[in-house]
Amino acid sequence: MNLDFSQIVPYIPFILEGIGATLKFVSVSILAGFILGTILAIFKITGFWPLKVFADVYTSIFRGTPLILQLMIIYLAVPQLTGYDISAFLSAVLAFGLNSAAYVSEIIRAGIMAVDKGQTEAAKALGVPYRAMMLNIILPQAFKNILPALMNEFITLTKESALVSTIGYLDLMRRAQIAGADIYRNFEPLFFAGVIYWVMVTILTLAGRYVERRMRQSD
Amino acid sequence: MIKADHITKVFGKNEVLKGISTTVEKGEVVTIIGPSGSGKSTFLRCLNLLEEPTSGQIYINDEEITSPRVNKMEIRKSIGMVFQHFHLFPHMTALENVMYAPQKVKGMSKKEAEQIGKNLLARVGMTDKETAYPNRLSGGQKQRVAIARALAMEPEIMLFDEPTSALDPEMVKEVLDVMKGLAETGMTMVIVTHEMNFAKEVADKILFLDDGVLLEETEPNTFFTNPSTERAQSFLEKVL
Repeated sequence: MNLDFSQIVPYIPFILEGIGATLKFVSVSILAGFILGTILAIFKITGFWPLKVFADVYTSIFRGTPLILQLMIIYLAVPQLTGYDISAFLSAVLAFGLNSAAYVSEIIRAGIMAVDKGQTEAAKALGVPYRAMMLNIILPQAFKNILPALMNEFITLTKESALVSTIGYLDLMRRAQIAGADIYRNFEPLFFAGVIYWVMVTILTLAGRYVERRMRQSD
Repeated sequence: MIKADHITKVFGKNEVLKGISTTVEKGEVVTIIGPSGSGKSTFLRCLNLLEEPTSGQIYINDEEITSPRVNKMEIRKSIGMVFQHFHLFPHMTALENVMYAPQKVKGMSKKEAEQIGKNLLARVGMTDKETAYPNRLSGGQKQRVAIARALAMEPEIMLFDEPTSALDPEMVKEVLDVMKGLAETGMTMVIVTHEMNFAKEVADKILFLDDGVLLEETEPNTFFTNPSTERAQSFLEKVL
């Protein structure tokens, strides 16, 4: 068997630097997707139809087309239209953030709908304003229920982040490919990158379980 | 204090309330009785606009609350409501449940709200459960916390929507006792209930609803011994 892991040793620091690059844009994308997704979810449940239509069309577009296509449009096609030379990082954050928002908004919408209607009535009967009711009463209960689904979305995003290697962003995946091309061996660097992805996702999973346990204190 | 004038409510094709008019005086305890589906709860929920009447007017202290210009949230601040299924906020402790509205709605300081919350929980006999989350409480305890939560807004009127219907039999009394105590303080109360003995004992006036129509409006003695309509007679025969 033709395996020689010692060959990648000189490339280990180079590949490891990709962890930072990946984490940087994944965390910004998750945050952006989460905030935007929450706003879209609230649009979807308001009685004001233009907001609802906007959020529904948004979700339909971003869920209905491939993420890699959205990434390419932002990175390659937008400069053609606007003349603005967008960076790989900004393209990646935009594509992943906007895409994730569509999925997150559906998860949060379902979570809000699943909160007992009596909670809304109790808050209304006390004279609680809509905003406070959402922030203090409904969303905390919704988030508790949807945490596993949200974690799943964050994990998917972390793994799918490897797609940015296609636009030349020097993430973990791209660096593994470069190392592979340099030493004419692909198994070792790809395997190494795979282990790192797995470790990152495992840490994310454990963090999610911890938060879940904390939130279940009232049970 | 409350005046309802020809209240109707239609859900789709179903006319649930068919023109109900009544008044409730300050300090009066009114119980609404009637078979299931008679519109009792719907009528009660119209009084704090959780349901909007299809037609008719409701006045609270001579202000028409059914007017489209009225701010519902302002109206609800002075009307407390207790639900059949409690609807406590499950992610807050008993004390936090009671403190929440005074802080968020009235802008009260945490310290003040805590004082009020502790006093009210003491009043409903729940001092030892201040830090308990709702799902650690029995039904009767939950309902007592829910009453304290409603009282924390210092309402002028308290509405009760079948407050003991979801309780195990042995917990009914502890809730009714709290309500009796509240009635003795002169609180204006409107109560939808199936507890006939409680109605007999505490109510100043009984409203008997059937099929969306107010059939009887009378004081309890007359209602329970000598109801004027046949429908009320047959209802009482079944439940007493």
